[in-house]
Amino acid sequence: MPRPNLYYEERMPSPLQRVWLEFRRNAFAIGALYILIFIVFISLFGPLLTPYGPNQQFIDAISLPPAWSVNGDVRFLLGTDELGRDMITRLIYGARYSFALPLLVVIISALIGVTLGAVAAMTVGVKSSTLKHLLDVLMSIPSLLLALVIIALTGPGLGNALLAIGLVMIPQFLHVTRNAIHDERRKPYVTASRLNGVSDYYLLTMVFFPNIVRVLVIQFTIGLSVAIFDIAALGFLRLGAQAPTPEWGSMLAQSLEVAYVTPWVMALPGLALFITLVSVNLVGETLRQAIQKQLEQ
Amino acid sequence: MTRYLLRQITLLFFTLLALSLFTFCLSYWFAGSAVTNSSGIFPDDPSYAAIATARGFDGGYFGQYIAYLRHLFAGDWGRSLLDGAPVFEQLIVRFGASLEIMLLALLVAWFPGVAFGVLAALKPGRSVDNTILGMSISGYSIPVFWFAQLAILLVAVQWGLTPIAGQINPLFDIPAVTGSILIDIALAQPANPQAAYYSAFMHMILPVTVLAIMPMMLLIRLTRNSMLDVLNKNYIVSSYAKGMSTRRVLWSHALPNAMQQVIRQLSNLISLLIANTFILEVIFSWPGIGNWLVRSIYERDYPVIQGGLLIIGSLILVTHVLLNLFHAWRYPQVRKDLYAAP
Repeated sequence: MPRPNLYYEERMPSPLQRVWLEFRRNAFAIGALYILIFIVFISLFGPLLTPYGPNQQFIDAISLPPAWSVNGDVRFLLGTDELGRDMITRLIYGARYSFALPLLVVIISALIGVTLGAVAAMTVGVKSSTLKHLLDVLMSIPSLLLALVIIALTGPGLGNALLAIGLVMIPQFLHVTRNAIHDERRKPYVTASRLNGVSDYYLLTMVFFPNIVRVLVIQFTIGLSVAIFDIAALGFLRLGAQAPTPEWGSMLAQSLEVAYVTPWVMALPGLALFITLVSVNLVGETLRQAIQKQLEQ
Repeated sequence: MTRYLLRQITLLFFTLLALSLFTFCLSYWFAGSAVTNSSGIFPDDPSYAAIATARGFDGGYFGQYIAYLRHLFAGDWGRSLLDGAPVFEQLIVRFGASLEIMLLALLVAWFPGVAFGVLAALKPGRSVDNTILGMSISGYSIPVFWFAQLAILLVAVQWGLTPIAGQINPLFDIPAVTGSILIDIALAQPANPQAAYYSAFMHMILPVTVLAIMPMMLLIRLTRNSMLDVLNKNYIVSSYAKGMSTRRVLWSHALPNAMQQVIRQLSNLISLLIANTFILEVIFSWPGIGNWLVRSIYERDYPVIQGGLLIIGSLILVTHVLLNLFHAWRYPQVRKDLYAAP
């Protein structure tokens, strides 16, 4: 006699999978996710798509408006800036500096911060409320200010700005990881695993980690949005990426002088930054709501 | 409450101590002579030796730190390396200017932020809610420096409604006493106060509005989320069951309780506000502390960097502790949680 299949699914979807199912129901968030994937694509393969170099100048085409206006030229789809450089090429190259580099920095500081946070939570003795309060206070200082402090010490430059943002992100990941593990450690499933006699390493990777990974994903999107904004803001204040670099923030800073004559030179990098930030924030907020909904069930 | 008060004050004391220790260490970490970095006196100045002795540089590090603290409390924060102006006097004026736009922006952000948040929470999942949430997320994502440029280009240049930058028309002779332009006008008693207030107000509109946008959008989301939590509570259902009008339920039950969570997260909002103030001061040439600090980083004006960091750091720490205290004082149930915690 064949065994009737009682369950429709082979196994329960993991917490992360359930969040993804919930996430998929929001069309806007999926759109934002596609935009992010597109930006990753152009920051990887951008140089293959563009006919010109980011700093290549065309003396015959200075301050051309975008191609669809009367004075535009189809060779330069989004126009050129005051030095005759193609805007769309610069924007595509800028995706590397303004999106891919912050992404890498956040990934690296997440790895370091989560490891340190896990160690801090698993070792007994660091539970004192003093450390928690001090970290709380440190979290209340804006990341841009901390990055400014580090840049004041190291001097302006893109590398220093990235380093500064990375250093600022680490304690945030540490704090979130430590708090998440602390919230989970009294739950029955953890006690059960402890009674089973699992090792600390197993407890961390197989028991805690699948359950706190959602919190970490949210923190990751928040950190990414903050890092993109801060790198651009530092570039805008001329403390991050320096002049010819096609970083969106420093492109905005250079466009200040010509903003009235050639508004598209100012509008386009800001628009690119805006679209990127909206997508990251939308994905992050939808994830947060999906997780919230799941916790309520 | 007393115990919590004492704990928070101890926390504030130690964090301020750590902050001052950090700014003290900065004079060693920066390039050049530590005496110059902390006092702004160059080595070829005749008073250099006397300054070095007064700041304890012939003794050990501990003596130097004590001397540094003594100088801080005496109001002698060194001189700017660029123009030789005393840092402390400049800081007071610039701090006032920054605080003015920050507080005004918070005020401007507060009421619409809460109102829209409540409106969205009343109809969760409906089109009102979705519109407000979409607006909130996209408004929150606008890079503030870009938005400020667009606003200047459109409102100030294209339409010519407001001045482009600065604090007041320079033809008004208003000496900077507190830095806050509105108070300064009241103190200076110019011949034509109405015109002076009008000019200051017109200069203020654009920076304050742009500064208020991001905190407002964050506030909308915070209010909406905490309001949704509160509206699902039993006491709201029972208030409705008693026959209270929606308005009374909102005003006397839902809103005060929803504010508790909002106030708990207010320090995020403050830190957002401070970071944006920095950037906007540079764009609008507002003579505030952020503008000064950014300039001093380009110019490597070390005494100014130290002083600026110290004062902004203290502002953040004090606000954080005050918010915690207000939260615990206003909401007794928070206090109970704090004491029950091990």
